Amino acid sequence: MAGLELKALHKSYGEVEVIKGVDLSVTHGEFVVFVGPSGCGKSTLLRMIAGLEDITGGELWIADKLCNAVEPRDRGIAMVFQNYALYPHMTVYDNVGFGLKLAKTPRDVRDQKIREAAKILQMEHLLERKPSQLSGGQRQRVAIGRAIVRQPEVFLFDEPLSNLDAALRVDMRMELAKLHQDLGATMVYVTHDQVEAMTLADKIVVLNGGVVQQVGAPIELYQRPANLFVAGFIGSPKMNFIGVTVESVVADTITVAGKDLATMAIPADGTGIKPGDTVTLGIRPHDLLNRAGTIVGEVMLVERLGNETNISLKLPSGTSWLVVLDGDHDLKPGGSVDLTFDPARAIIFGSDGVARHPR
Amino acid sequence: MAVMTETGTASAVPLPAMKRRSPYPGWFFLPAAIIYGVLFLLPTVASLYFSLTRWNLFSSTFIGFDNFAQFLREPFLIKGLVNTVIYAVVTSGLKVVLGLLLAVLLTSQIAARGYLRSVVFFPVLVSTVGVGITFTVLMHPTQGMINEGLALLGIKGPGWLVDPNLALFSVALVDVWKGVGLATVIYIAGIVAIPKDYYEAARIDGATSFQNFLYITLPLCRPATVTVIILSFIGGLRTFDLIWAMTRGGPGFASDTVASVIYKQYQAGFYGLSTAGNVVLFILIAVLVVPLTMLLNRREGHE
Repeated sequence: MAGLELKALHKSYGEVEVIKGVDLSVTHGEFVVFVGPSGCGKSTLLRMIAGLEDITGGELWIADKLCNAVEPRDRGIAMVFQNYALYPHMTVYDNVGFGLKLAKTPRDVRDQKIREAAKILQMEHLLERKPSQLSGGQRQRVAIGRAIVRQPEVFLFDEPLSNLDAALRVDMRMELAKLHQDLGATMVYVTHDQVEAMTLADKIVVLNGGVVQQVGAPIELYQRPANLFVAGFIGSPKMNFIGVTVESVVADTITVAGKDLATMAIPADGTGIKPGDTVTLGIRPHDLLNRAGTIVGEVMLVERLGNETNISLKLPSGTSWLVVLDGDHDLKPGGSVDLTFDPARAIIFGSDGVARHPR
Repeated sequence: MAVMTETGTASAVPLPAMKRRSPYPGWFFLPAAIIYGVLFLLPTVASLYFSLTRWNLFSSTFIGFDNFAQFLREPFLIKGLVNTVIYAVVTSGLKVVLGLLLAVLLTSQIAARGYLRSVVFFPVLVSTVGVGITFTVLMHPTQGMINEGLALLGIKGPGWLVDPNLALFSVALVDVWKGVGLATVIYIAGIVAIPKDYYEAARIDGATSFQNFLYITLPLCRPATVTVIILSFIGGLRTFDLIWAMTRGGPGFASDTVASVIYKQYQAGFYGLSTAGNVVLFILIAVLVVPLTMLLNRREGHE
């Protein structure tokens, strides 16, 4: 049974197309995270699923029901807003029960559901308070409570943690993960924070400019990003890139060299790539090793954290890289450092930006 | 030793200076204090005094509370007091209801919204006396356009301003017509400030337009409601110009308010008496509006 299915979904505001044909299939109980930079269309896409934005083209199926023209309340969804949207003049109890009240649910059933949700979220002691008397985390809980009582097919979260401070965000993230396990419901979650995406998701949808860049499990996106955008977006700190020239292509190995890089054979799919082409090599900061080898750079800045050392590096071509070395390294700005990496850890991107992972 | 001298001088010199505050800032306060004193405090105190005298502008004799006693003994004055309160309640009530409805209409997606907003606000800008004279003509029992219009529909229009039971309410209606634009503008500001999230959350919960209004718009524009009630209630209590332009308190004393009674006393040369009337009006406004404000401003009244 499909929890949620998007088929060639389009959204335009007049001439401006913001969602350019999104296809996505979410199975029941999956936790899906839409991630991307500001303005990539992730919130718009979520609001289209919620029914708060009209669908310009394509089909939206929720629990095997075509929902393009269905009113939000009949779509079997519940949404948690970025600013929680708790009614300030109502108590927590009334806020959580508002939807049930509108649906004319009998008072005793309503009461039971509200208390059930409050129990799940451990906020029974807050029921008589007004939102203004709650902390950010508590408000968040109430907003989730309001979604839970609707018993939706699909939960929709629009950047729910962005208004919380860093420590609370980590706590709430874990609670959300636990909630997902307990309820077993389909959840769609929008965030621009890739750490949230990596930790919460069963499946991440990376969006940019209204187009899906890649869909996959978090670790798959980290290890096998489909293109330069995903490679740069997923993973913290960001992946390092340099332009290199192809020297030879042999079966599943591309040998490259450049101003910043001594000749190196990288395992990659060489289809369509020929010697002389300029390609991009990507390597994650954590994958660089402090050994004499292929790269020499000038140390610009050093952050010694004890367990690891962050180095801001300037390569001969002027490209800036970030290097994270295990353990403590007493390096001084202005000095130079020799680095190398395991060729299997590097990724070659063609001139079209598409990754050439070895087959 | 050095330390002792140092602390000694340090505490000896600045402390008295700190205790005796410098008069310098006072000079900045003075101009405003003089203007306020001469134009506001002095007249207030003087009017309190003159309300206790028999006064003909050139000489005054102290007569204690005789003016108040006389003022309150006058039957038309009691009528005026009752009328004033009725007028204030009717006008502010109608302005709240109509202002809110118009504001809801003018914040929804309708054609020519900006134009309609200015149409609603326009009467606020027109001279009250002009409005009064115009409506007096329109409300003429036989030749007025309103009754002529009603006659076309086969309805015999009432004597808007000549029927003693109706005159006050006719003027109140004109006041509402003229003043509802301001209430609407205040409500529009209040409604526009309500975050869209609330309506979206309610939409997902399946709220109808009426439920949106009842559970979101109405409670969340409460500050606007308080402002509209207080402003229009005070305005209603001290109303004079429209009454005077339309009925001069008539027919008889049917539409007299405290302010028009006071004006008539001034015209008749009873300055002490009418000043006492002003004090009564001041007390009336204070007694009604202060508790009302406190009631309305109670923090987040129960829904």
